[in-house]
Amino acid sequence: MLIPTSETDAAYIIRNAAAEGKALALCGGATRAGFGNFGQPAEIFSARGLRGILDYDPAEMVMTARAGTPLAEIEAALSGNRQMLAFEPMDHRGIMGTSGEPTIGGVFAANVSGPRRFVAGAARDSLLGVRFVNGKGEAVKAGGRVMKNVTGLDLVKLLAGSFGTLGFLTEVTFRLLPQPPAVETLVVSGLDDAAAAQAMAAAMALPVEVSGAAHLPLTVRHRFVNGGLPEGAATVLRLEGLSASVEVRAQKLAAVMAAFGPVERLVPEQSLLLWRQIRDVAPYADGTTRPLWRVSMAPSAGHQLVAALRLEAGVDAFYDWQGGLVWMRMEADAEADLLRRYILALGGGHATLVRAPDAMRSTIGAFQPQPEAVAALSARVRQTMDPAGIFNPGRMGVI
Amino acid sequence: MSEAIRFLAPRQDVLSRRAAIVADLADLLPIECLVQDARGLAPFETDAFVSYRRVPLAVALPETTAQVAAVLKYCHRFNVPVVPRGAGTSLSGGAIPQEDAVVLCLSKMARILELDYANRTATLQAGVTNLRISEAAAIDGFFYAPDPSSQLACTIGGNIGMNSGGAHCLKYGVTTNNLLGVKMVLVDGTVIELGGKHLDAAGYDLLGLVCGSEGQLGVVTEATVRLIAKPEGARPVLFGFDTCEQAGACVTDIIASGIIPVAIEFMDKPAIEICEAFAKAGYPLDVGALLIVEVEGSEAEMDAVLDSIVEIAGRHAVKTVRQCQSPTEAALIWKGRKSAFGATGRIADYICMDGTVPLGKLSHVLNRTAEIVESYGLRVANVFHAGDGNMHPLILFNANDPEDAARAEAAGNDILKLCVDVGGCLTGEHGVGIEKRDLMRHQYSAIDLAQQMAVRAAFDEKWLLNPSKVFPLDGRT
Amino acid sequence: MQTSFTPEQLEDPQVAESEKILRRCVHCGFCTATCPTYVTLGNELDSPRGRIYLIKEMLENGRPADEETVTHIDRCLSCLACVTTCPSGVDYMHLVDHARVHIENTYRRPLSERLIRSLLANILPYPARFRVALQLARLGRPLAAVFAKVPALAPLAAMLRLAPAKQRGSSTFHPEPEPGSRTGPKTGRVAILTGCAQSVLDPGINAATRRLLARFGVDVVAPPSGEGCCGALVHHMGREEEALGFARRNIDAWIGEIDGAGLDAILVTTSGCGTTLKDYGHMLRLDPLYADKAARVSALAKDITEYLSTLDLPVLESRRLSVAYHSACSLQHGQKITTLPKLLLKAAGFTVRDPAEGHLCCGSAGTYNILQPEISAQLKARKVANIEATRADVIAAGNLGCITQIATGTKIPILHTVELLDWAYGGPKPAGLDSLRGKDKAGPVAAAKI
Repeated sequence: MLIPTSETDAAYIIRNAAAEGKALALCGGATRAGFGNFGQPAEIFSARGLRGILDYDPAEMVMTARAGTPLAEIEAALSGNRQMLAFEPMDHRGIMGTSGEPTIGGVFAANVSGPRRFVAGAARDSLLGVRFVNGKGEAVKAGGRVMKNVTGLDLVKLLAGSFGTLGFLTEVTFRLLPQPPAVETLVVSGLDDAAAAQAMAAAMALPVEVSGAAHLPLTVRHRFVNGGLPEGAATVLRLEGLSASVEVRAQKLAAVMAAFGPVERLVPEQSLLLWRQIRDVAPYADGTTRPLWRVSMAPSAGHQLVAALRLEAGVDAFYDWQGGLVWMRMEADAEADLLRRYILALGGGHATLVRAPDAMRSTIGAFQPQPEAVAALSARVRQTMDPAGIFNPGRMGVI
Repeated sequence: MSEAIRFLAPRQDVLSRRAAIVADLADLLPIECLVQDARGLAPFETDAFVSYRRVPLAVALPETTAQVAAVLKYCHRFNVPVVPRGAGTSLSGGAIPQEDAVVLCLSKMARILELDYANRTATLQAGVTNLRISEAAAIDGFFYAPDPSSQLACTIGGNIGMNSGGAHCLKYGVTTNNLLGVKMVLVDGTVIELGGKHLDAAGYDLLGLVCGSEGQLGVVTEATVRLIAKPEGARPVLFGFDTCEQAGACVTDIIASGIIPVAIEFMDKPAIEICEAFAKAGYPLDVGALLIVEVEGSEAEMDAVLDSIVEIAGRHAVKTVRQCQSPTEAALIWKGRKSAFGATGRIADYICMDGTVPLGKLSHVLNRTAEIVESYGLRVANVFHAGDGNMHPLILFNANDPEDAARAEAAGNDILKLCVDVGGCLTGEHGVGIEKRDLMRHQYSAIDLAQQMAVRAAFDEKWLLNPSKVFPLDGRT
Repeated sequence: MQTSFTPEQLEDPQVAESEKILRRCVHCGFCTATCPTYVTLGNELDSPRGRIYLIKEMLENGRPADEETVTHIDRCLSCLACVTTCPSGVDYMHLVDHARVHIENTYRRPLSERLIRSLLANILPYPARFRVALQLARLGRPLAAVFAKVPALAPLAAMLRLAPAKQRGSSTFHPEPEPGSRTGPKTGRVAILTGCAQSVLDPGINAATRRLLARFGVDVVAPPSGEGCCGALVHHMGREEEALGFARRNIDAWIGEIDGAGLDAILVTTSGCGTTLKDYGHMLRLDPLYADKAARVSALAKDITEYLSTLDLPVLESRRLSVAYHSACSLQHGQKITTLPKLLLKAAGFTVRDPAEGHLCCGSAGTYNILQPEISAQLKARKVANIEATRADVIAAGNLGCITQIATGTKIPILHTVELLDWAYGGPKPAGLDSLRGKDKAGPVAAAKI
């Protein structure tokens, strides 16, 4: 295991590995180590030795940290100033059965986001600048520390979500937001998936700034907030902001939602717990390796996909609408081809196999195969960043 | 015409084949979609960065993605450079052609293809203007958030090329945060789709890479963008201060307090006078600096946020606070702000800078900017997006005096270097274009640039797409 | 924008003026977005910014106009939407006027174009000739379809199609007081431009104007002899000397009245003419004999709605009739009159609706619908669709050109703003509104309250 403690060390290790053609398994805290394809065997190369917040001026709402800084350390520093990472990074340990400390670099390398996705963006939208070492062992800077920056190509976006296949992140600079002083969650009960989709679309069209919307069907609702949700399937809507304003908006939203079904509100503690559980896909943190899909598609098509699949396979699902996701746990086979075919037929999107038994993982591409021209382009891009192909080879599929 | 910035030398082999190339293009396009005679080409020689001009070889005005693909395939095969263009409103010269290039102008592809409210998306042809998206969605209570000042005229394709921002980006982000998918044509004519109505990339975030790539990675012909429900209400409020320092410090304190208004715009005295003369928006003329702070939401929310902001402004000796009384008045306030650059044309020629600096450096950079411009014997007006530190000093000069023009350019370069030196960057939302190309080395090391150029070459190995822009001409890979 | 004129070139006052205008342009491109031809054709060359560039090149090089330049300048409607939009204050109107004169002086058009232009210039401004031509056009109407198939004859087809099947309204000036005139002291003394085409096509508009003014105690003088076409028609064709001739004749006709009993205003009910009247001062600024008189006439020129707004008309009970207000370009862009007509209509009890894209021209634009029938037809379709989307009962506009153009594209009745006002304040119900029975609480009731 290689754990460099400086960017210079990291560059040195990479240069040597490139010269020898030796594969490296780039990671942070390795809490998402099972994400993606098996890839080739490689020596673990972790950023966890690069630790510490380098610059944090709360007034600027920007932080720079070394990539291996534990997420917990970052969040502790932020909450002291009533600030937060707006994109609510999901914790994968529950569903993947891993331990260890998620790092801030890992969060960005996997572009991990949560239910505030539509209003506050994904991790990639908060990431302003990076330093990384490319596959030639060169330290490269991209982006900066100001929010608006179109100086040259946006390599920052490219690095976000590249799962350590393009560069070894050493330093990340990201944008922060103030914590909302008040949170309110409305629960509309008893809707089927199709009605819930309509209700959520109606909620989102209102000028009330819904910052989270999810539909938790009967099969999963009891696994949230210790079974404390009202009877029936739960369609949940989150409002955040100044307390006076949240209250006004909650009343407005409740009035409109009443046309769909009975509306109740959660107490604040329940509310915080609920959205953390939605973020972390709590219902499927079940200690199993049953196949788990993360489906990204147009929200209005989500329930159609699930309905179509149910006719042919055992599937359990819930919808994180504002995260733009459908989470699906398959009861037996992963049904990769069927699922991906339906996604295309329903207007496009993609499915990522987040978890599965090893036998399935070795035969199914974790990432949805891309059209030929896009795949070729991606391969060429990777070639420029990691010409020797030593960074997590095979993890993102052919590239 | 200033000549401080070089263009690539035109490819003689392309110039010598001009007649044949034009004849071939005529086979690929309907007759009204090709401009080829000298008179007709001249008006395409520049964009809103008028200091530089190059008459192109030909201008293609395709009506379909297939025509775009055909032109690109042809140009790729015969090594003819291509400069993509939308409405030609770039302030950094992003759409200025070169003599050996075919301009691929997407202004005829201007249809709104779909407004999908269930999924909160709009799908558009690249030539649709920014403002039209919001106008089309307004009746159903939605809008498209990024709002560059030129939003009336600039196209979504151009916005993607430059990752355009605008006043309201403080809350809603810039183009890249609002773009969900594109249909684009690669340099060899291959048509690909990136993203769609879903939120995340399937593999590498190539969409994020394409956004802001200034027409160097391909030509976007269609885009899917995010629509947002219009807030219940929005209120711009004017805060007048005696000095720029007070206004600057007030901005820093507003953001530090945890309040994020939708927009915080800054105007200094010259800018206030220019904008008031055009828009008659009722800006106070007896102040040294003006902030336009916009809040939105319900009445209760706006009142609460405004109370806090007024309290903060009070700590900075605010001189006037004016709330607007009607939507008409609000529209005028924004009309004045958004017309600031053009309205400056009433008093002088200008070049518009676009550096971004950390908020804490705002006052320092404003002071230094004034000193720098004065040292060149010129005048400056400042009107910019203060909330995110995106400065737009307008350096005033006389375009008919070559020495004056050269001084203005030199002053601009000094200001941009200053922005980088205090921890900011060369360009917030206008792009590098031709204007800031040679300053890229000030912000990036040779290795940083080499990595960017290598990625660029992965899309366009022969460097045919908008090749004179963004990257310094020497040391290209 | 940088310009390159020699000192010798700048000695020509026209060139000097154009140079000043060009220097203001910063090439920002805002104007492209509101230009009807750019929005329709998507080509920079058919945008104001493109035309400014073409004109700049032509004038800087002092060269004769060429086909490419003429094509794109001919496509300009002179709607002046760009002038409203331009933040830099580029005076496009006078720049394109200059270019048109330059074209007329240096460019020889193909025979068919010369014939049609000469036909228009020699008929439209002269009511007697125009009346005869209209009779012939009605007879020739069936030929329109045939002409339309030959590109060079397309303008003829357009012309035949525009000729109304029957004349709208009728009335000439009567020296005796209008029925219902208020007696007692007069609130004002005004002249109304009789003009040319409108007096033939729809004399009812001026008749309604006289009735309405009389009812509010305004003295309308008889049209002085010699008054006629304002010159806009030939002015927009670049026939500068002819245009100035019309202007001088009108100035001579009015100046006697102004210097005699005095005039409070010269009212115009065709806003296209109004823009030109208001520009007489500029057009004749270099004519030492007329400059001063022209400026005085321009200062008195008022659109009818401008003048009515000064009269403080009473607010009437609202009626169920909805009016889509079509803002003529010459009013909203040329004269910057945008809200006054709508306020008058609202005060008179109508529900006013604003069609989308109100800044876009309907494609009439003087003789444009004859000379550029294809673009004109596209703009008309777009305009009519936007108007019909308002689901209004009736359309109001302040310019006969627009009225004629839009009427050929929709079944919704279209009237001059002043005709609706006259009706609301006690005048006869305008023809064409018969289908709206039940929606029109009668005018006389309202009139009784005055």
